[in-house]
Amino acid sequence: MTRLGTLAVVTATSAAIAAPFFLKPYGIFLISTWAVLTTAAVGLNLTLGYAGQISLAQGAFVGIGAYTVALLTPLGVPFFVAFIAAGLLCFAIGWGLGYPALRVQHHYLAFVTLAFTTLVFLVLRNEQWLTNGIYGITGTPRPTVLGWKTNGGQDFYFLCLSILTILSFATWWMLRSPWGRAFVALRENPIRALSLGLDTRRYTLMAFAIGSSLGGLSGALYAPLVQFIEPNSFALSLSFNLLLMVIVGGSGNFFGPFVGALVAVLLPEWLRITQGYYLILYAAAIMVMMAFCPAGLLGLVERAAKALNDRRANATIPVRGEGAGT
Amino acid sequence: MTAVLEVVNLRKAFGGVIAVDGVSFDVHAGEILGIIGPNGSGKSTLFNCVLGQLQPSAGEVRIDGQVTTGARPCDLNRLGVSRTFQLLQVFPQLSVRDNLILAGQEHQGSMASRLFGRADAGLGEAAAQMIEFFRLSHLAEEQAGLLSYGQQKLLDAAMAFMAGPRLVLLDEPAGGINLTMLGHLRERLQAYHTERKATFVVIEHQMEFVMALCTRVLVLAEGRLIAEGAPYDIRRNPIVIEAYLGH
Repeated sequence: MTRLGTLAVVTATSAAIAAPFFLKPYGIFLISTWAVLTTAAVGLNLTLGYAGQISLAQGAFVGIGAYTVALLTPLGVPFFVAFIAAGLLCFAIGWGLGYPALRVQHHYLAFVTLAFTTLVFLVLRNEQWLTNGIYGITGTPRPTVLGWKTNGGQDFYFLCLSILTILSFATWWMLRSPWGRAFVALRENPIRALSLGLDTRRYTLMAFAIGSSLGGLSGALYAPLVQFIEPNSFALSLSFNLLLMVIVGGSGNFFGPFVGALVAVLLPEWLRITQGYYLILYAAAIMVMMAFCPAGLLGLVERAAKALNDRRANATIPVRGEGAGT
Repeated sequence: MTAVLEVVNLRKAFGGVIAVDGVSFDVHAGEILGIIGPNGSGKSTLFNCVLGQLQPSAGEVRIDGQVTTGARPCDLNRLGVSRTFQLLQVFPQLSVRDNLILAGQEHQGSMASRLFGRADAGLGEAAAQMIEFFRLSHLAEEQAGLLSYGQQKLLDAAMAFMAGPRLVLLDEPAGGINLTMLGHLRERLQAYHTERKATFVVIEHQMEFVMALCTRVLVLAEGRLIAEGAPYDIRRNPIVIEAYLGH
């Protein structure tokens, strides 16, 4: 990472730590939502951005994770056990969902995952004996971690931020390892990857399973954050929103989901001052953004940094005849 | 001499079209075998059947005496068989160095150990040597997609050698590159062959390249093997001349 990049990460981390001390409860709720959804977007970025497997199912995995925690904690299961169970369950389901990706690609795969999201939504809505149907589940408690109660908004935000940090570090580790290179190979040229000895089948399933697992862990935090979950929260619109976060931030860029989630969570709120026009303005802003920076906001930043570097490099090249000893 | 690769009565049909029709040949250790033939003669289909990209309709493929017909390309690669493709197949977003590390990493430990091990899978030094060998040092950190076509061809070939294969199948390595780069590529392939005693099978249209590089040549036409021999003899073979020129 460049010095400028390190500085940006340190500044952003400091801002994320300091932010709740300057915000009202609703503001803290919003940045907690950002931390929770960023976790899911990091997972989708792994599946889509790095491994190139399009998925419209990430919202469904957030839902599965949320319901897992909401159903297990009232039974006396400790939060962190339920949290890990949510991750493991989504890993297993994600692995299964990866199988169609071995046969179909691109928009066909998008439709397979879209159908899965619809299926999960129908189960959450119709299987009332398990999920309480459209009435949802209320009052998922916020956990106590080693005596630290996270009932308050600020405390829970720091819990979410800590988990996001740990999971992001784990993802970064994986992406810098040979696995990360294999995921990129899967996206760029699976046939060549296969000929170089990469078991593309196993890597595809892994990309789906790990990405889905991060979605589930995000959902496991979502339930105690909002303390009321119902099927509509995990319908297709959430999957689209998570996809938007990845694309707007910069698909395949490690920090893309962080920026994308910030835009997707905060921009609509900031635009609320325009009252009835806020959704129109939000949609227009997204369209303009995508038209002018298809590589996402971080792609735009990288382009600007590269242009600046090139200009500097050109400025330091001596004009012919000016060099010493000529 | 030991046969590294044996192809026995291989046949591949696409519906009513027979692309490869009962082809048999052996490739011996340390040999550079050339396969030539007019467009549509079945050369690439033959490669794809041998390398598991396509399932043959009939026949058998053996590597070191072990039947590998229909084995997956990744499993064949682990047996020490590597290949290049007719069209460029590098990973454009990865650097030259990362392309080479990727080409060898699956031979380093288990999948789990690669997750927790070194980022370069312990191949940093080997990649640097390969970069040096193919004279790409000044481009090591460049994105592969930004390289010229000829440089990407060199990288493509270098990737095939990264895992230290015993058998390398090169599909039109000289296709679309200029004469200077062609000479450079041929010289590097010969140097690698001399140094590592690797076995090559080369499909190529560029006759000078084949004649200078290969020790034996097979000729395919309409999916069938029509001639086999030393490069000098093949060049003068009337059946070959007829197949190429149509008279």
